[in-house]
Amino acid sequence: MIHRVLALARKELRQLFASPIAYVVGTAYVALTGIYFFQHLVSYNQLLFVYQSEGLTGGGFDQGTVPSQINVLNEVFVPAADDFGLFLLVVLPLVTMRVFAEERANGTDELLLTSGLRPWEIALAKHGVTYLFVLGLLAASAIYPAVVVARAGLGFEHLFALYVGQLCYGCAIASIGLACSSFTSSQIVAAVLGYSIPFVLLDFAWLTNTVSEEVAGRLKEIALLSHYGSFPRGVIELAEVTYFAGIAFLGWLASLTSLELGRAR
Amino acid sequence: MSARIEAQGVSKRFGSVVALDEFSLDVAPGEIFGLIGPNGAGKTTFIRILTGYWLATEGDVRVDGVSVTRERFRVQARLGYACEQPKLYADHTVDQFLRFMGEVRGLGGTRLRQAVGLSVERMGLESVRKRRIGVLSKGFRQRVALAQALLHDPALLVVDEPTVGLDPAQQIELRRIIAGFRGTHTVLLCTHQLHEAESICDRVALLDRGKLAALATADEIRQGGSLEALFLARVGRAPEVAVSK
Amino acid sequence: MTFLPAAGLVMILVGVASYYATRSLHGMSAFSVANLALGVALILIGGVAQVRAFRGFSGAAPRRVALRALAILFAGFLAVISLVVASQSWTARLDLTADELYTLSDQTRALCAELAAQPGAPIELVFFEDALLAKDVRLLVDAYADACPQVLVRDASRNEPPPGARELYTTTATTVIACRGDVCDPLGYPSERNITGAIVRLASARVPRVYFLIGHGEIDLASQADGGYSGLAGLLRDQGFDVRALVGPATAELPTDADVLIAAAPERDLLPEELALLDRYLEGGGRLLALSEPGLRSNFYSEFLLRWGFNLEDGVVVDDSSSPLLEDPSPLNLLVHLFAPYNPVTRTLSRRTMVLMPTTRPVGLARKPAPDDRLERVAFASARAFIARETAMALAGRGLDRPVDAPETEPPVAATGSYPRGDVVPGTETTEREARVVVIGDRDFASNRLLDALYNRDLLLNAVRWLASDEARIALTDKAWTPNQDPLTLQQTVAYFYFLAFALPETLLLLGIYAWWRKQA
Repeated sequence: MIHRVLALARKELRQLFASPIAYVVGTAYVALTGIYFFQHLVSYNQLLFVYQSEGLTGGGFDQGTVPSQINVLNEVFVPAADDFGLFLLVVLPLVTMRVFAEERANGTDELLLTSGLRPWEIALAKHGVTYLFVLGLLAASAIYPAVVVARAGLGFEHLFALYVGQLCYGCAIASIGLACSSFTSSQIVAAVLGYSIPFVLLDFAWLTNTVSEEVAGRLKEIALLSHYGSFPRGVIELAEVTYFAGIAFLGWLASLTSLELGRAR
Repeated sequence: MSARIEAQGVSKRFGSVVALDEFSLDVAPGEIFGLIGPNGAGKTTFIRILTGYWLATEGDVRVDGVSVTRERFRVQARLGYACEQPKLYADHTVDQFLRFMGEVRGLGGTRLRQAVGLSVERMGLESVRKRRIGVLSKGFRQRVALAQALLHDPALLVVDEPTVGLDPAQQIELRRIIAGFRGTHTVLLCTHQLHEAESICDRVALLDRGKLAALATADEIRQGGSLEALFLARVGRAPEVAVSK
Repeated sequence: MTFLPAAGLVMILVGVASYYATRSLHGMSAFSVANLALGVALILIGGVAQVRAFRGFSGAAPRRVALRALAILFAGFLAVISLVVASQSWTARLDLTADELYTLSDQTRALCAELAAQPGAPIELVFFEDALLAKDVRLLVDAYADACPQVLVRDASRNEPPPGARELYTTTATTVIACRGDVCDPLGYPSERNITGAIVRLASARVPRVYFLIGHGEIDLASQADGGYSGLAGLLRDQGFDVRALVGPATAELPTDADVLIAAAPERDLLPEELALLDRYLEGGGRLLALSEPGLRSNFYSEFLLRWGFNLEDGVVVDDSSSPLLEDPSPLNLLVHLFAPYNPVTRTLSRRTMVLMPTTRPVGLARKPAPDDRLERVAFASARAFIARETAMALAGRGLDRPVDAPETEPPVAATGSYPRGDVVPGTETTEREARVVVIGDRDFASNRLLDALYNRDLLLNAVRWLASDEARIALTDKAWTPNQDPLTLQQTVAYFYFLAFALPETLLLLGIYAWWRKQA
């Protein structure tokens, strides 16, 4: 059972890296995160300079005159993590759109579904490999922040929490994209769906003015961003991990359902 | 090691479209059975139901008594399937693809190596073993499709339109390979080329608009002169299938 | 999938994207509304067409399989929703911030336990979701809600805040307002210390009172200048103290409600009557925080404090090992990081929590007024420090080189004294009353300019809380772990930027081109 899943996962990985899209997405994500992280770092640098200049005129106690909330975590990591989340939303549907749709369009789903593979194994392998790709993407983008943390001697725990959050968020978005891909044979449709659904689910701010406060509150509870905020601040909450794991599970279940419905058509 | 196929009143409807209508069939172990008919006759539909890819609207197919509706994974473990216009992973090499399919079939270690080696040898794929499937000729791709279907040494081999688009030499070679399974494996050969069915099948069924129109044994074909003549005599018209030799 | 739903989705996508892009300018624009409305309409029309065109799962077996798959999906959906809803009440969290910023301190927890045992209305933390700091503070406020049964969190956007909170709300800078019934407290910057301070204020039946002695050239309590004490007064008020001034020469008797008296470096002599007044105050179990400064020669130091066991010699503590850490390299600016580990005033401070004291006077000990009195030096400059006896010269920046014969001792800069008075209370080890004094050789560390520097605030608050017998809340500090230094120089930032924002993506792109080329080959 597990070796079938692993075999399929290896095949998925091979296909992922045989196609240029994974590299293009990797390039875009690492470049975007690098540039934005750099921008935040430079802004922070300038902010410190302003505070330190004030401090110099007031007697030169640089460490004392910078308010405690102005620190590298609050000023660089938290806003950067918000940007990184948005970038994941932009790049991941490009990867997920092909995973099921391409198989269906090429007819290779017939090969898989008649070879004794269980649909849940197919869904698991495909979801697992995509999450692995998300992990790789985050690992590549984490080098820059990790270097900064190491240079500052800050300890990696906070950064770890931030990246756990990114992983949860990325996997949830990827699983929505994969579920969309599994219901169609068109990669374009899969991409449109894969962008639309997470974007609509993002924070419902666009809807909250037109509905009652009660409904707005409920909508906020299911919004993706409402559950992402604690991670960049260094806190991993079981409730938030459960939320993202729940979305990933539902994405997997939706893919499985689409495979079963395909058989019953 | 060969298997019996029993199809009982199998129908498949897509809304108002009837793709297969009360189709029944009995294929004996070790037999090479031909399923012929024009495009849209229901051949591929039947094969997809047999292989567990689709569910029948009504009826059921049994392989060695195992229902494909209820226990499709047990049926799939006993069959190898080379589908029409082979659907393969173009970015894999032949070797990678066969290894992958072998692993999916539950093979591993030495057994996998031996099975891949045997399949490659049987299908004459040694020269292209390290090449990517995307760059292979159609003939080689058909062979790769057959090679993967044979990896786990299935009792039943289901082959859908294996010679479409091949040059005459490749067609002859492939038919020779399929004929080689007679007696050891049950083969369900789906084709719309009459002479192909004529030359290698022990029995041939003619499907027409989802129904079984006629059934003929090799002896009957020989006595009737040709499949075309035989079917003309039985159904009153020649089947709308290719007759090129 | 037909064209209509796909087009509808694209329109919704554009509608939502345009909303996010321009929401800070004018909220929902007509363009966004039009796209969203048209998108929904197209999806509905396309959806209906799809449903009508759906040919169904014909046959018993396909219907059974389809229904089972959909039922499993639905069950999974319900299960996930239940789990997520249930998980909202779980408090399991891993606080990986360096100082566990969002984990309540033991002091706050102890306060919560005290509150739970008291009758009375619950304390509400009115939370404003639109506040600038909302995301950061939410975690902290939730921690209160989890740990304190008597503390409730009320989301101002969903539940109408009490009138008191509405009055105190100013701008999006207001994140939390604490209320009990109709009484509300604006609590300032929403840190644990301030939130807990507000809770203490709202929960306390009696507000402890702090008097600042004035009339002898002490630092001005109302002054907002760098050297003023308006910040200190505000901090004490935030922490639940009632702060008042006391004009020494005009006072015949100290108020009986004086929990703590602060003498912020008197420059001139006190009248003999005033000294007698102070003596009586301490003898009666009074509490005094005395700050000083090099060069001050008031009788307050030479007579009064000496009588109570503190010897404030003339001189300035000079420490050249502190200066490299500061922008201003003067060895007169002490980074005090050696503290008495068991004294309640300093036990929360350590080598990591330095206090910045510019121009500090040594605080030595003299003879104890009574045998049972306890005197202790609690904060020290480093072993490299020495005491420059020529105060005026040292303050002018001369004679700051360490003499070769200077002893290798750590000059003390703060000390405490406790003076048990009256009879021993039967069944306890305490006496009827206990006077307490804290003496610190610097007045500037608590000034507006430096109060927020390093851990200056902590030393001061610890001292006041100990004096006010409020030891339980000592060390309720803002866990502001502040790596305020820039971790990278600009050159390093740019160098890493080239590698990580360009070279690494470039490599990935080249690999992608290679993959594409291979695929085409």
